[in-house]
Amino acid sequence: MCDEELTMMQERLKEGNMMTSEVNVLGNTIAGKSVGISIRNLDVYYHNLHVLKSVSLEIEPNRITVFMGPSGCGKTTLVRVLNRMNDGVQGFRHTGGVLLDGKDVYDKDVDPVLLKTRVGMVFQKPNPFPISIYDNVAFGPRIHKLNRSKEDLNNIVRDSLQRAALWEEVKDRLKENAMSLSGGQQQRLCIARTLAVHPEVILLDEPASALDPGSTAKIEELMVELRRNYTVVLVTHNMQQAARVGNKVVFLYKGDIVETGEAPGLFEKPSKELTEKYIRGQLI
Amino acid sequence: MDIALERLSSMLMDMAVLSEKSVSTSIEAYGKGDSQMEEIRAWSEELRMLQEDVSELAVDIIARFQPLASDLRFIRAAMEIAYGFSRFGRYAYDIAEVLEMWGDLSKCDHSMVEITAKTTKEMIRMSIDAFSNRDVELAKNVKKLDDFVDEKYREHVDMMIHDPKKDVTCAMSTALILRYLERISDHSSYIGDSVIYIVTGEKAPRK
Repeated sequence: MCDEELTMMQERLKEGNMMTSEVNVLGNTIAGKSVGISIRNLDVYYHNLHVLKSVSLEIEPNRITVFMGPSGCGKTTLVRVLNRMNDGVQGFRHTGGVLLDGKDVYDKDVDPVLLKTRVGMVFQKPNPFPISIYDNVAFGPRIHKLNRSKEDLNNIVRDSLQRAALWEEVKDRLKENAMSLSGGQQQRLCIARTLAVHPEVILLDEPASALDPGSTAKIEELMVELRRNYTVVLVTHNMQQAARVGNKVVFLYKGDIVETGEAPGLFEKPSKELTEKYIRGQLI
Repeated sequence: MDIALERLSSMLMDMAVLSEKSVSTSIEAYGKGDSQMEEIRAWSEELRMLQEDVSELAVDIIARFQPLASDLRFIRAAMEIAYGFSRFGRYAYDIAEVLEMWGDLSKCDHSMVEITAKTTKEMIRMSIDAFSNRDVELAKNVKKLDDFVDEKYREHVDMMIHDPKKDVTCAMSTALILRYLERISDHSSYIGDSVIYIVTGEKAPRK
């Protein structure tokens, strides 16, 4: 983005208009447009272990794509490839392309730190920082200088907590430590923290597996709501959850994509025997 | 869950045997002029209770195990098949009731009922075998016989309309029985559709 464009965008930010399909100072699209990811002939290795085998897949915008499969099938590796979380893993190497809105995320000119603001991730175990609720959400915008004023920052925090369906529960105690929240609330706080830097894609790696049924239901409701403005990728072992919230389902086994299909139809009538076995709990 | 699904399958086979016996008995009774009403009524009642038991078990399995894929299809189909078998029992009772209502029908020409009943009984047998063996081809063949039964019913109604000199008691009683046989045949077809759905996941087109 050139200086002139940046100045123009910053002027718009001053006006407090955060909800248009504009681009923020990170180059991220502000809420209103999400992007797709195109994975082309992706092979991933950890040293000599061939973990993903010639994976090709389209992740469409404004949909929830679910990766599922038995332990060790490569689903977590695949999701972590999307925002280069595997870069630091010893022995990691890959061939093939991972295109975010047409640009390969592994190109030399891509900043992995900025990439993670565009492709945010929420983990299985809620991991809020041991600081206030407000500061958790404000953390990303502060370090990336997304706000011009305290008021901007307040708006970002409020907007993110609202989008994460947590605002009403915490609006009167933003200064409290995040660790005082319940597990389900902590997870929604982590989602708010991800949303605060205006990602285009949200990756969720078993986000509800550590939560009680009530919290799980809230997270699932939130995922369905989020796909209206973001591209969502979900990893889950819970097939009923995949059937409830998923649009597209990708079944992996030993590094291969066995079948892709639309939910919930795939759960009623899988076309591959391996998928049928897995869904019926007969594949370990 | 496998044990529960086996139990469901076994309940359906019990219903199959009883419903086939009900229909055969009611048709034989018509031929002999002896309704065997009480026995057929009891079987119809038993089939209705078994249908409810199947539904209870199906819902129980869904609540406990949240089945998917072919297990889910089987459970869905099981409820439809149980309904079909309970209807066999109900129509068998209706056939028996015709004799009770109309009295002695020995003077009537039984040939139309006999020829139609033969096909209906064959359809019942085929649908049960198709379900028992998950035989898609046999299930498709059940449906092919449905048109014959439909045609016989229409033929008779047509004859009734255009030949008013026919004995009313015979004409009406035959029409009713053919109607019940036609409905039994329809349900045999639906059971065939359910078998195809269990095995392939394909649903019959809506009519």
